[in-house]
Amino acid sequence: MASPTTTPSETRAPESPPPAAKTPEKRPFLLDFFPLETPDQTRLHRFYERLREGRLSTTRCPRDGELHWPPRTACPSCRTEELEWVDLPESGHVYAFSAVLVGAPLGMEAEVPFAVGLVDLDGVPLRLFGRIEGRPWTELRIGEPVRTEAYDIGDGRMFYRFRTSG
Amino acid sequence: MSGRPVAIVGGVTTKFGVRAATWSELVQEVGAALFRAVPELRSEEVDSLFVGAAEPERFAFQSHVAPLAAEQLGLKPYRILQRNELACASGQSAIRSAYAAIASGLSDIAVVVGVEKMNLPSMAEANSAMGCVMDRPWDGPAGATAPPFFAMVAQRHMLEYGTTAEQLAAVSEKNHRFANTNPTAQFHEKTFTRDKLLRLPVIAPPLRLGDCSSMTDGAAAVVLTSDEHARRFTDSPAWIRGSGQYSGFHNLAHAGSLTEWTGLSRAAREALGRAGIGVGDLDLAEVHDCFSISEIVEYEALGLCPPGEGGRFAADGRGDLGGDLVVNPRGGLLGCGHPLGATGVAQAVEVFQQFSSTVPAARQVPDPEWALVHNLSGSANVHSVMVYQRGGAA
Repeated sequence: MASPTTTPSETRAPESPPPAAKTPEKRPFLLDFFPLETPDQTRLHRFYERLREGRLSTTRCPRDGELHWPPRTACPSCRTEELEWVDLPESGHVYAFSAVLVGAPLGMEAEVPFAVGLVDLDGVPLRLFGRIEGRPWTELRIGEPVRTEAYDIGDGRMFYRFRTSG
Repeated sequence: MSGRPVAIVGGVTTKFGVRAATWSELVQEVGAALFRAVPELRSEEVDSLFVGAAEPERFAFQSHVAPLAAEQLGLKPYRILQRNELACASGQSAIRSAYAAIASGLSDIAVVVGVEKMNLPSMAEANSAMGCVMDRPWDGPAGATAPPFFAMVAQRHMLEYGTTAEQLAAVSEKNHRFANTNPTAQFHEKTFTRDKLLRLPVIAPPLRLGDCSSMTDGAAAVVLTSDEHARRFTDSPAWIRGSGQYSGFHNLAHAGSLTEWTGLSRAAREALGRAGIGVGDLDLAEVHDCFSISEIVEYEALGLCPPGEGGRFAADGRGDLGGDLVVNPRGGLLGCGHPLGATGVAQAVEVFQQFSSTVPAARQVPDPEWALVHNLSGSANVHSVMVYQRGGAA
């Protein structure tokens, strides 16, 4: 993850290039035309608030210990709604990957080509899907070590992605 | 088997492709074709209508599509009117609902229409619609659509079993060759040799253009009736003998093994078990080849070959005419295109037409009795299977 930061303007990973000029109204980002990450919109707002602090986190059921992904408001096993937040490991290994060379969704056309993959997080039974930044897809390999990082998707909203070490 | 016997007694498919026609116009077109193909059918006896439509809200900016479709078709359903949405399997979902309604006695004569209008002036908008099939707030922001997911399936299958690009091309070559016999197919007039397929551009590595089904506009329709009515329409009804469905996950994080589609194995076991037959009894199968790798994994999950040998099964032509059974004689999604809501219905139309010997001789399966149809949706997380038997007694 990127170093913890305190203000939204500083949440990009240090190694990220300067932000390109973005036009939020032309960037619905897979149809989220409106921000839906705030307490008035989602009970999972802490996920995004913690991302803003550089922490990728999820919910865990205190009763049965089940670690969820994505974070939930009710445990799928025992259905309790009293869940706790936990940070996820910052390292993992690529289980499978591909790349989007054409056919990107709205708002992502300029980012082509980009790599995506399934990453086994170290030490927890979770395999997360996400963007893989760093080396180009032609140089990626299965088993590659990656780290998680939080990033601003371009209009103030936060998400997570993976980054190769090289 | 429970309830009344139910059969498909007629069906049609519009031309699939990039169509200069709106959603409603495609419905009118398939309705006109259906009533021409089934002249015994009277509008007023259609008591129920089921509409398989995946994303009209995204692709056609339209909801409440069941009554809209009824009006386009010139029907006034008086028992059950509903729209079925199950992404890429919306078509079979609609057939399954009609089947259940007739088997239970709630309906006697039902029409099922599957339709999708996918080609928009903005391909990025259409790709966004495809992204909505995933768990969008979580898988979507990374840019997840179908190609990269199925590309990862192919990558793992290649790693775990040594499956090759040539074996993927064997699937695509077969289905495109069958599509050359199908005038309604999107790629009816295009020839794809294995060499040509291996030179097409990469879309999502390791998948090339010819490994991927396309964005397609089209519609298909079938008529289902109880056994009391079936013989009035045809001498060769396609009797529904079994049905099964399984959903194991939705978010990509829960896909588990990408190469072992246990959901399909379970759905097929349920459907074949209800029909009282084994996979070896099948004469043909329409399976969901949204990507070439899908058909390879499906050979294995259906038990047509052991795990890992789907690539060889394809390359050896065991799913071709003259092989173990004929897979995707219609041309598959690869050859016909994949209008989401229409695909599952078009698959059933092929079964009906194979049973009634009304397909061109070049793809006619000799004297078929049993057929299986598999329609998957999303990231292969839902598998829907139906088993049909030709003619004979109800």
